[in-house]
Amino acid sequence: MTWQEKARVQTAQEMDRSLRRMAHEIVERNKGLDGVVLVGIQRRGVPLAERIAKLLEKFEGMLPPQGKLDITLYRDDLSLRYPQPLLRGTDVPFDLSGRKVVLVDDVLYTGRTVRAALDALMDLGRPASVQLAVLVDRGHRELPIHADYVGKNLPTSHAEVVEVRVAEIDGADEIWICEKVEEQA
Amino acid sequence: MSWMHRHLLDVDALSRPEMELLLDQAVHMEDLLDRPIKKVPALRGKLVVNLFFEPSTRTRVSFELAEKFLGADVVNWAASGSSTSKGETLRDTAWTLEAMGADAVVVRHGMPGVPWYLREKLRKASVFNAGDGAHAHPTQALLDVYTVWKHCNRSLDGLRVAIVGDVLHSRVVRSDVQAFRLLGAEVVLAGPRTLMPLETDALGAVYEPDPVKAVEGADAVYLLRIQKERALEGLYPTDDEYHRRWGADEELMARAKKGAFVMHPGPINRGVEIASAVADGPNSLILDQVRSGVAVRMALLYLCMGGMEA
Amino acid sequence: MSTERMERCCGGEVPLLLKGGRIFDGERFLDGVTDVLLEDGRVRALGKDLPSPEGAKELQLAGLLVCPGFIDLHGHFRDPGQTWCEDLVSGSLAAAAGGYAVAVAMPNTLPPLDNDALVRDVIERGRRAGGARILPAGCVSKERKGEEMAELAAMADAGAVFFTDDGAPVLRARLLRNALLYTKDLGVRVLEHPEEKDLTKSAQVTEGRCSALSGMRGFPISAEVLGVLRALVLARETNCAVHLTHVSTAAALEAIRAAKADGVEVTCDVTPHHLVLSEEDVLRSNLHAAFKVNPPLRSTADRDALWRGIADGTVDAIATDHAPWHEDEKDLPFQEANFGIASYECAVGAVLDYRRNAEPEVPLERLLALWTSRPGALLPQSAAFPGRLAEGLPAHVTVVDPESAFRVDPALWRSKARITPYKGRHFTGRPVLTVVAGKIVFSALEGGAVRV
Repeated sequence: MTWQEKARVQTAQEMDRSLRRMAHEIVERNKGLDGVVLVGIQRRGVPLAERIAKLLEKFEGMLPPQGKLDITLYRDDLSLRYPQPLLRGTDVPFDLSGRKVVLVDDVLYTGRTVRAALDALMDLGRPASVQLAVLVDRGHRELPIHADYVGKNLPTSHAEVVEVRVAEIDGADEIWICEKVEEQA
Repeated sequence: MSWMHRHLLDVDALSRPEMELLLDQAVHMEDLLDRPIKKVPALRGKLVVNLFFEPSTRTRVSFELAEKFLGADVVNWAASGSSTSKGETLRDTAWTLEAMGADAVVVRHGMPGVPWYLREKLRKASVFNAGDGAHAHPTQALLDVYTVWKHCNRSLDGLRVAIVGDVLHSRVVRSDVQAFRLLGAEVVLAGPRTLMPLETDALGAVYEPDPVKAVEGADAVYLLRIQKERALEGLYPTDDEYHRRWGADEELMARAKKGAFVMHPGPINRGVEIASAVADGPNSLILDQVRSGVAVRMALLYLCMGGMEA
Repeated sequence: MSTERMERCCGGEVPLLLKGGRIFDGERFLDGVTDVLLEDGRVRALGKDLPSPEGAKELQLAGLLVCPGFIDLHGHFRDPGQTWCEDLVSGSLAAAAGGYAVAVAMPNTLPPLDNDALVRDVIERGRRAGGARILPAGCVSKERKGEEMAELAAMADAGAVFFTDDGAPVLRARLLRNALLYTKDLGVRVLEHPEEKDLTKSAQVTEGRCSALSGMRGFPISAEVLGVLRALVLARETNCAVHLTHVSTAAALEAIRAAKADGVEVTCDVTPHHLVLSEEDVLRSNLHAAFKVNPPLRSTADRDALWRGIADGTVDAIATDHAPWHEDEKDLPFQEANFGIASYECAVGAVLDYRRNAEPEVPLERLLALWTSRPGALLPQSAAFPGRLAEGLPAHVTVVDPESAFRVDPALWRSKARITPYKGRHFTGRPVLTVVAGKIVFSALEGGAVRV
């Protein structure tokens, strides 16, 4: 089984536009950046958080603290995955207590990753609040979780996957919908 | 690259990339040890049995911490020496473990080969060798290389490691030689000939009868524990003589590279294989080894048990 | 004799005509002879295109080797005393299925076979077992304790074919010396297990790579050499014969070779497992107890030296040292398991198969002689197993198919043992027919002619 590109959803320019809007919304919702920290979920949430942070710096003149969160050890589907995902490390070099944490991830789907991220976050400290920023919300939630900042709402089917590509990891910024292709024998 | 092992019986099962993957994962696990809440739910619902046929508090506690930090359910089963002497064969013990639903068995036994025996008998559970006879002790070897590796910029290539002491009765040394060599280090063995196997070459290391020459230019000096009953068996005359000739004191360490690491699997016999000044000195990694042990065992348990069964 | 009468009534009287085979007489393949007629428990005729007598059973054996019944000088039947491991019936059938017409039973039973009554018991029950004939060795010492001499003459009269404390060497040198002298005129040899026990306390594997890498105590080479030298020195001094069993090291074999050249009346056997396996197999098995045996599996250099000993004639016999154990004694961690390898039902195949690639090259007839005429010469004449095929000799025959390939599956064994280092191995060449005193005791021939 392989995945085949079906349609491009966003170009680099469109993606940048989404991130800018999200950055503005973060400032607006939090009435500035006081106490706001960004925590990117490994793996593509991390560069996205960095970009939002840089945009915030541009807009507000201060760079909010950023951290990386590896939620692997908190996944609820570990025993269903083979081989198991590898750790990439959590690095939150500041105290979370009393902060307004903005969790950043690329795609919001079932909500299970965010559930795991919340558990991982709570083990690190006691934030004042946690907000969620995602580049794509593709629906099909399995848990009562919603995003506070959404780059693009994208209706999809279960047979599809949304691939967010970022220059830091994938060499280009773009978002694709891919679909399963049964391999010919 | 992904991890394909469900068990760890000895170091020779691992390729270099696999070993490096494990060390890399151990770094992330060690990060967890600094947090106020160290427990994660990665192995929630998994039952791990620590099956110890001989007491080894350090290894057992280290495994137990690793298991608990990963959220596993842990049972310590201390069995008496020989399985037959207690009236139950190891085969029956294995089947009992299976019936209890163990997902993993960490086994320590005085007889070599027991972990392999258990793996053959257990259909479902992962088996981890926590030391079998004077044969293998792979997690000790992993934590030893990990400790040096993280202090040496994640590379052991070209390093010289001198292992000094009772090679003959050591369960650590065979696995350690394999592990250090796998990562590109060279190993020299030293110690009285009566405490060496006749064919040291078989271990993959050079034997250097002169302890000073063995230590010369070493990046790390690893002291093996001397069990005092060996003197009674006539393998060396007295602890005093052993210490004077083979013990790591400041004079011997001065022959190694400047800043050479001092290592020991513990528990240490101060004044026999190691002088206190060396054990407690600035280059001693002995306590770091203990901490590394938990991290490395967490990485191992996670890699072998974290995913779906193949 | 009563025995002959019994064989007649058991069907020994149907003449057997073995046709079209390649005939090996114990020393060489015979030219121009393809048929063997067995009648009344004797070899009646050897020749070409022999006519079939009235009522004879005829077997077409084209492509097969027709040999004297194979002789095994060393096996453990665990009977009396440990019959859950093996007994005379299972052992006899297993030996027959392995191509052996006769098997010598070691006396380390419970109680040890140290008197004539027990010797008679084993011979009688062995005869009724229905497979290979079982001939017992008697203990050298009372209760096999290595202290006092057992009633050797009485046991010789009862039919014991060797004297040995096997399982262990004869403990005291003085006793071994006296036993050599005492048995010299009985026509029964002393078979010595060469091992200096003081060097092998709690040893598990051979000293060398195996002990170094496993962390287990090693049997030093010197322990076997000292055992061999003790026997050689005593045999030389007393001018007596001695047989050294399961010789496993190059150094021990060299000592025997030198003594032979020097005129000492010494003979020796080697086992199939020391010819086919080595310490590397122990290591590769991750210390599986199936590979635990005394003497231990040695280095590949020692293994190769045994083949040289076969090639140059130093080795007099290949003897299985078939040592069956129940799983309760063998399905254990290496150190807890008993010593011993069960092999009756695959030993010949293992050796034949290994010979194909062995260095140096060993002619087939040289190898076959080690199962026939050469061990036959070590048995007392009264045993009536000369290991030869000639007119008038007892009708013991083993037929070997040199091309038949098989996989070792102990689940199918007649032996009670289920644990063997050969499990799952593929071998080419094996016995397909065993005849004892004119009676077929094992056949893997279909319809009397078709290869299995």
